[in-house]
Amino acid sequence: MSLTSLDPRVTRLNLPEGEVPAMEPKPVLDQFETYEAFHQKKEGAAYTYVGPVHAPNEDVAFLFAKEQYSRRFACTGLWIARTENIQLTVYGNDGENVYDALRFQEPIERSEQPEAYEIFHLKKRGKAHTHAGRVAATSYLEALQEAKQAFGDKGPIVNVWVVKSKDVLQSAEEDKDMWTTIPEKKYREAIAYKVMDKITKYKEENKPTTAQ
Amino acid sequence: MYGGGNVFEATKFDDLQTEDPAKLAEFEARIARGEKIEPTDWMPELYRKQLIRMIEQHAHSEIIGALPEGTWITRAPGFRRKMAQMAKVQDEVGHAQLLYSAAETLGKSREQMLTDLINGKSKYSNVFNYPAFTWADSNIISWLIDAGAIVNQMANAKGSYGPYSRALERICAEEAFHLKYGHDAVVHMATGTPKQREMIQAALNRWWPPIMTFFGPSDKMSTHTETLMRWKVKMASNDECRQQFLDMYVPKIWELGLTVPDSKLKKNMETGQWKYTEPDWDEFKRVINGDGPCNAERLAVRRTAEERGAWVRRALLNPKAKYVRPLA
Amino acid sequence: MNELAIKDLLYKLADDQLILGHRNSEWTGFGPILEEDIAFSSMAQDKIGHSLAFYTLLQELGEAEPDTVAFTRNANQFHNSQLVELPNGEYDFSLIRHFLYDNAEIIRFEMLSQSSYEPIAKVAIKLKGEVKYHVLHANTWIKNLGASTEEAILRLQSSLNEALPYALGMFEQSTYEQELIDAGIYAGEEAVKAEWLKRIQAVIEKTELKLPDLASIEPKFGGRYGKHTEHLQPLLDEMAEVFKIDPTAEW
Repeated sequence: MSLTSLDPRVTRLNLPEGEVPAMEPKPVLDQFETYEAFHQKKEGAAYTYVGPVHAPNEDVAFLFAKEQYSRRFACTGLWIARTENIQLTVYGNDGENVYDALRFQEPIERSEQPEAYEIFHLKKRGKAHTHAGRVAATSYLEALQEAKQAFGDKGPIVNVWVVKSKDVLQSAEEDKDMWTTIPEKKYREAIAYKVMDKITKYKEENKPTTAQ
Repeated sequence: MYGGGNVFEATKFDDLQTEDPAKLAEFEARIARGEKIEPTDWMPELYRKQLIRMIEQHAHSEIIGALPEGTWITRAPGFRRKMAQMAKVQDEVGHAQLLYSAAETLGKSREQMLTDLINGKSKYSNVFNYPAFTWADSNIISWLIDAGAIVNQMANAKGSYGPYSRALERICAEEAFHLKYGHDAVVHMATGTPKQREMIQAALNRWWPPIMTFFGPSDKMSTHTETLMRWKVKMASNDECRQQFLDMYVPKIWELGLTVPDSKLKKNMETGQWKYTEPDWDEFKRVINGDGPCNAERLAVRRTAEERGAWVRRALLNPKAKYVRPLA
Repeated sequence: MNELAIKDLLYKLADDQLILGHRNSEWTGFGPILEEDIAFSSMAQDKIGHSLAFYTLLQELGEAEPDTVAFTRNANQFHNSQLVELPNGEYDFSLIRHFLYDNAEIIRFEMLSQSSYEPIAKVAIKLKGEVKYHVLHANTWIKNLGASTEEAILRLQSSLNEALPYALGMFEQSTYEQELIDAGIYAGEEAVKAEWLKRIQAVIEKTELKLPDLASIEPKFGGRYGKHTEHLQPLLDEMAEVFKIDPTAEW
């Protein structure tokens, strides 16, 4: 016997009815590794962190992040980076600049040629990291030092993320049309639902009759 | 979608004795200053445990909460409702994803959380163990359960944990549409044909008792609760949330000429507090512990989705991948 | 231009999208991983949105309003291909169908965005970006899974074999085929099919899947003329269930 549900979709799943033994614990990585996503809200704006997705590789991560993070709000571009490839500083106190507290040591590993790194700043705890810019360096640590010089004096910065540019999958110019219709999907905007007229009309028609 | 209830009981409270006093003082001072805690900060074990528990239950409530309304996806009447219903249920799945991620930053993997959900080790909001018999039930859920969830989530968004607050801000922004959509659908039914009115009143009658339990029983004010409030983990008491909900939504129900199936429901104009019949907390306990009308189906569906999708996940598993917690 | 020809084209576009959108929406909550659940639901919403756009064009041509057209006709009045009405099966079948369908859909949208019939061209230009994501989604999954484990390849191959006769049914020609081509509405089904074949081959070549010899496959025709499998009518009944409770009501 399979389960009959109020949901015809569930009925069609042909679920077994009755007791089932406990599920084996899910193996490690059953849900894949994680990737961090950054979106651009409008043309020219800095890319901002929106959150992680679980995915088997960056192409699939892009597919996932596009719908998870850019289906409800305007978007003109999306960046994806594997969580493992992002290095971060400690978190400083609000109002302070974490670069000031960093002691720079000699990096253990260096590339022979300088490479590009993307730098993200968190301005206040609880907010989202935003892209500060790009630097060239031979290691994460050097990139951080370069970042301090290039844009480390711009007010409070409580945390910094550093990732090699080559490890960031960036949506292309020609991908932009994937987002053009987002603002037109009014059915998922609160503003599309206006019922005051109906309520007012109902109240008008159903006024309690005053006692004669 | 999430309420209170069954969240804060039963964790041993002597854990704090073992924490480093200097670090604890720094942590508490940060929260007192109004700063958020971020994943790599030092935090007391009690804080970490309670947050994982709370965010995980919230995530489970979203993924299971997608099912009662999902019941009506293929049957939603007309384009406007159909697309909105799909988008709304999709949002709930999206919220689960956001919340699981926030919980992961505290050290519990999504694999562990899903395992615990399916094996009944961790809970989700009890209201989703009730069925959505008709399209009208789905409308009542969209409006009033989401309304309750928003009361709760707006409070929690002001909590101290950065990743949870960020997720909740996004969730609240998305849910503004749910609430309006739900209200719109209920108004159409209530001001529509006699058949529609009858359907919506019947659905409200069915859902009112679960709704009243949505925020959980009155909190027992213990040192434990006080600590969690000081740490901005718990932001409002269950009763405060329930009162706020009643205050905001009972008038909106009444103005549609619908009745609430509780003869004691009345606002005391002097205190501003609502009086109501105490919900049946015995039933609440019984249902949350597994004996509700839909518990078995909800978990079976979730389990089936996981099991039938396993080949996809196995196929793409990268043996060189290393699990790292999401960053924020 | 022959209005009947345009209407026939619009009906088959809209009906395909409406039915596939419903099938895809059944995945919401049941997907193989949360993120995919969300992506599939978005595409289902897009499809239903696209069908609405085309039913709206039909309304402008004098047909009934979209809700009536979409939710009150019977199976024999539907012009969708049989491919889109088949039950979802497991994820492999849904994915293969999505791959086969959307690779044809994007070609239609590309052609229609150049159509001499301006209302269609406008809609196609506007919505093309959404279909582009659908194709990217489908192709990425097929490339990934089609070159993965034996289990996955086997599942996809058997779903591909099962779906292909129905997929070929998508290209069933209309009574007005030549008229549509001559009038520059679009290049016609043969042209869509030829381009479709190139595109799906290009993806399949990157995997361990094998495309069977299409010449040996009997296409499942009939859908475009109202002949359907036993699966369509129950789905239509389900879609209209609430609507029918009170046909005079505004929901």
